[in-house]
Amino acid sequence: MSTALIENQTPSAQRPWRKKSRNDVLIVVVASTLPALFCFTIYQIGILSPVISGMLFVILQIAAGAIAGTIHRGRRGLADGVLIASIGFALAFIGTVMSSVIWSVLTKGLEALKWQFIIQNNEYITPTSPLGYGGIGHAVLGTLIIVGIATIISVPIGIATAVYITEVRGRSRVLVQGLVQAMSGVPSVVAGLFIFATLIFTGVFEFNGLMGALAYTILMLPTVARTAEEVLRLVPEDLRSAALALGASRARVVSMVVLPTAKSGLVTAMLLGIARVVGETAPLVFTIFGSAKTNINPVEGPMAAIPLYIFNGVRQPFAPEQARAYSAALVLLFLVIVFFTLARVLSSDRRKGKK
Amino acid sequence: MITTVEAVPFVAPKTQGAGVPDQDLVLASKNLYVWFGPRMVLADVSLNFPKNSVTALIGPSGCGKSTYIRTLNRMHELIPSAALAGQVIFEDKDIYDPTVNPVDVRLRIGMVFQKPNPFPAMTIKENVLSGLKLAKLSNSNQNELVEKSLSQAGLWNEVKDRLDNTGGSLSGGQQQRLCIARSLAVDPHVLLMDEPCSALDPGSTLRVEQTIRELSEFMTVVIVTHNMQQAQRVATYTAFFLLEDNNPGYAVEHGPTQHIFGNPIDQRTSDYVNGRFG
Repeated sequence: MSTALIENQTPSAQRPWRKKSRNDVLIVVVASTLPALFCFTIYQIGILSPVISGMLFVILQIAAGAIAGTIHRGRRGLADGVLIASIGFALAFIGTVMSSVIWSVLTKGLEALKWQFIIQNNEYITPTSPLGYGGIGHAVLGTLIIVGIATIISVPIGIATAVYITEVRGRSRVLVQGLVQAMSGVPSVVAGLFIFATLIFTGVFEFNGLMGALAYTILMLPTVARTAEEVLRLVPEDLRSAALALGASRARVVSMVVLPTAKSGLVTAMLLGIARVVGETAPLVFTIFGSAKTNINPVEGPMAAIPLYIFNGVRQPFAPEQARAYSAALVLLFLVIVFFTLARVLSSDRRKGKK
Repeated sequence: MITTVEAVPFVAPKTQGAGVPDQDLVLASKNLYVWFGPRMVLADVSLNFPKNSVTALIGPSGCGKSTYIRTLNRMHELIPSAALAGQVIFEDKDIYDPTVNPVDVRLRIGMVFQKPNPFPAMTIKENVLSGLKLAKLSNSNQNELVEKSLSQAGLWNEVKDRLDNTGGSLSGGQQQRLCIARSLAVDPHVLLMDEPCSALDPGSTLRVEQTIRELSEFMTVVIVTHNMQQAQRVATYTAFFLLEDNNPGYAVEHGPTQHIFGNPIDQRTSDYVNGRFG
């Protein structure tokens, strides 16, 4: 103490708001270990089944949180303790689900994943063919083409819908909003069947990639429109006033001020739209039909797509085909991660001086 | 769509004061009444704004000053429930005439808002030029225009080395001057300012006031302010607005600034400018 004064040192940077008293630490440790210890012992002794002891643990832990919170800070601490314990369980639940999905795709998918698997197509490959031959190159291309076309169609229409609702404020605004909402409830298989019934069954088109893209569009459009609508609402009214006061027409205000300001949010809208459809199988079954050959022409002939390939693969009773399906799932997961990262990086503002 | 609004029986007293010329006017309102929905908020405002003058609008909060200047460049009508009666004469033509395009009016009558609102997705330079692009005007020498506008707004020396930074990287006072530069770049004949200094520190305020004085050599300025000293420092003419009880606001007195502050006709003006109420 006195030496610090004599040497006149500048103090080191500290974060006093993060310091916990020893009492706090003790309460947290006791409250979080006691129920676990208790339930584990019961389970080990064998009095209760694992499921029951697990449920008992959840109840006891939340109760322990409540008691610890009350001791610490009275009634307001009670709510705190209950919430912290509940949120912890919610986090653990979601974390378990997510990691188990990713884990099973990873472990089962790595078996068949070789370079040739990503590049080659599935022609001449039967479900019993050994791993090391054939691949899903045709399905990767198909998915990229179909999702690409669906994005090209639905993003402009979706943003235009959002502009109509938030900027134009036309007379049918409420009707359009209602329709978008109703559309977002359409089951994906209905979207596929709709395209099949109107365009394929009537003989206007054959099974092809464009039909799949149109079915995807039906699913993507409401997601893009609703997200874009929320994003455009966040653009401050001040900016619209400023632009109007400079002598801009409504159209120029939207195209030069509102949309650029909301750019990164609109990219989010697009990504959410893609995320909505990229793993969808049902809309493709009746529209692109699936193919083992490489077909990159979206308006002629059946096409392949990764979700459809996975769907067909995991239904087979043969181990190699199932392994290939898992690898396809892994490839799809990877594609989505790469694409989303890319879109985020490209849309981030690289200009200097941003606060 | 024509909306008829039931008139509220309120007769505003005649605006007092003398000494504002009625010749060589750039802008004038004649018997202007303003409503929001069924509620009348301004009654019978007739004010003249002579060419190359600065007019300050003063008065307590809620008396309709901001609403009034928004009617002067047709920003008022952007509020869905807005209605109005009377005339606003700009360069010998009523701006509310059905043949007049509001976009043209706003191009010639610029506006600076209370809160600085530079476009966040644009650089400083793009912000200054945004008016040209938004109104599809062409200008052969953009760099010269950027320098001229920023100099007029008193910002050039502070930002000339970082014109490619975003507007959001400036301080509040600089942002406000950027907004002024942006309004000046389209070369308006009138500049309306709605409490432009209310969010600024004293230094920036003085800078903006000096800008206003310089602008008044070739431009007509109307400024809403709550700062009595500011009105005295910058304004040639001052109009005092007031609302009483639940009645609409109206203009009590309008005249040369030194009369309003030194020798007002109306007792309430005298009370207000001397800080006895409001």
